[in-house]
Amino acid sequence: MRQVRAIAVNTFKETIRDRVLAVIVVFALVMIAGGLWLGSISLGEQGRMMKDFGLAAVTGFGLIVAVFIAASLVHKEVEKRTVFVLFSKPVSRGAFIGGKFLGLCGTMAVVLAGMGMFLFALVGVLDGHASGMVLVATAMIYVQLLTVMAVTIFFSTLGSAILASVLGICVFIAGQLSQNVLALTNLGKNPLTEALSWVVYVIIPNLAAVDVKAGVVGEQTLAWGQIALWTAYLAAYIVVVLALAAVIFRRKEF
Amino acid sequence: MSRDVVAVKDLHKTVAVGFRRRRVHILKGVNLSVAANEVFGLLGPNGAGKTTTVKVVLGLMRPSSGSVELGVEGLGRVGYLPENPYFYDYLSGREFLGFCAQLFGDDAATRRERVGALLEDVSLVEAADTHLRKYSKGMLQRIGIAQALINDPELVLLDEPMTGLDPVGRVEVKRIIERLHERGKTVLFNSHILSDVHELCSRIAIMRDGRVIWTGTVDEALAEAETLEEFFMRVVQA
Repeated sequence: MRQVRAIAVNTFKETIRDRVLAVIVVFALVMIAGGLWLGSISLGEQGRMMKDFGLAAVTGFGLIVAVFIAASLVHKEVEKRTVFVLFSKPVSRGAFIGGKFLGLCGTMAVVLAGMGMFLFALVGVLDGHASGMVLVATAMIYVQLLTVMAVTIFFSTLGSAILASVLGICVFIAGQLSQNVLALTNLGKNPLTEALSWVVYVIIPNLAAVDVKAGVVGEQTLAWGQIALWTAYLAAYIVVVLALAAVIFRRKEF
Repeated sequence: MSRDVVAVKDLHKTVAVGFRRRRVHILKGVNLSVAANEVFGLLGPNGAGKTTTVKVVLGLMRPSSGSVELGVEGLGRVGYLPENPYFYDYLSGREFLGFCAQLFGDDAATRRERVGALLEDVSLVEAADTHLRKYSKGMLQRIGIAQALINDPELVLLDEPMTGLDPVGRVEVKRIIERLHERGKTVLFNSHILSDVHELCSRIAIMRDGRVIWTGTVDEALAEAETLEEFFMRVVQA
């Protein structure tokens, strides 16, 4: 556990100090602030527009950070041969994968907290009152992105960083459509299509289930029980994916 | 007779390369033994299998057949400096060594003490809080040696520790290896710089094409040729 913590802290320091990350975050904040302009051209819907555009920007930029850092992290260690230093010490491959993921969780927490707080402040200024629901939506985006990060790390143990990035983004998109895949099972008369749809539904994480953006923007009441259950499901999904990544990584030679 | 700290027996390693997964035999039956408190030089032309042998010894690669026995208690008692080391750009030297110490489970006080002592040993006290991306090659090599010694290992494996160093850097690395020998450590290092090998090693092995083709002491080599370089060329070209 000490090793996992050491690798996590090291990963956090290494990624949070990366200038590329700072550039992306600054750009994201500018984009979120761009919602002010969009709000100004919408009649009487400034706050709603700001929330809608801002949360979309948080998701988009969060996804870029999550996928590209997660994809390059393991790959960079192998390519630049820092793994030689780690694995010539009594460090297990599982501790490496777990530590890397936890370090990235910390980095993503800082990035999303920054973007979320900025959006929260802007919505507060526009609406005249603070809306904590913006922070709740940001927290759920965080859960989605952690899942995408775990999947991307898994893919990065199999292939190149670019492939892992592309597949990570594909899983994010597919995760938004997961419910539609389930709907296919009800429509299909063909048992093969039905079985295939179920397999896809089980494999692809159901990210849409914890997506509360529409509910927050529309100021609807959220089904907290269901959201908590789906969050637990995604947490279990992350553990399984990381365990698989560790198994694959254990077979690698350097 | 002193015990063997490394015993490699009939080691074979085959890897699949390229799109068609062509099988390449890198090691073709390596036999090697390194005794305790020895400074052992592993020599050979590029592609002879020196680095692969070291990687198999460390468990970074699995042998296709043959065996590796370490006379120390696992990797916790081994230190390793890879060839052309590259470390984390955005960590300082002190942070990097602290991180390495944490991997061995050292507590904060031991860590601080050990890191401070090693920074002094490798003459990097002044650059201790500078990010590693600003280090010169020689400084990276020295911080690499420091991380290899962070656990006070019994066996130290150094892959081309003098490569790319200026004369001052080479002298400093040589002094570090000498101090390790004085402290009873076993050192196995790969090198192309035969004058350094001559100066530091008690025994050497020469590899060619995945096999050890000659093993003996430096004196035995020098009994057959005027210089180590001449002996090396004679053995490798035989």
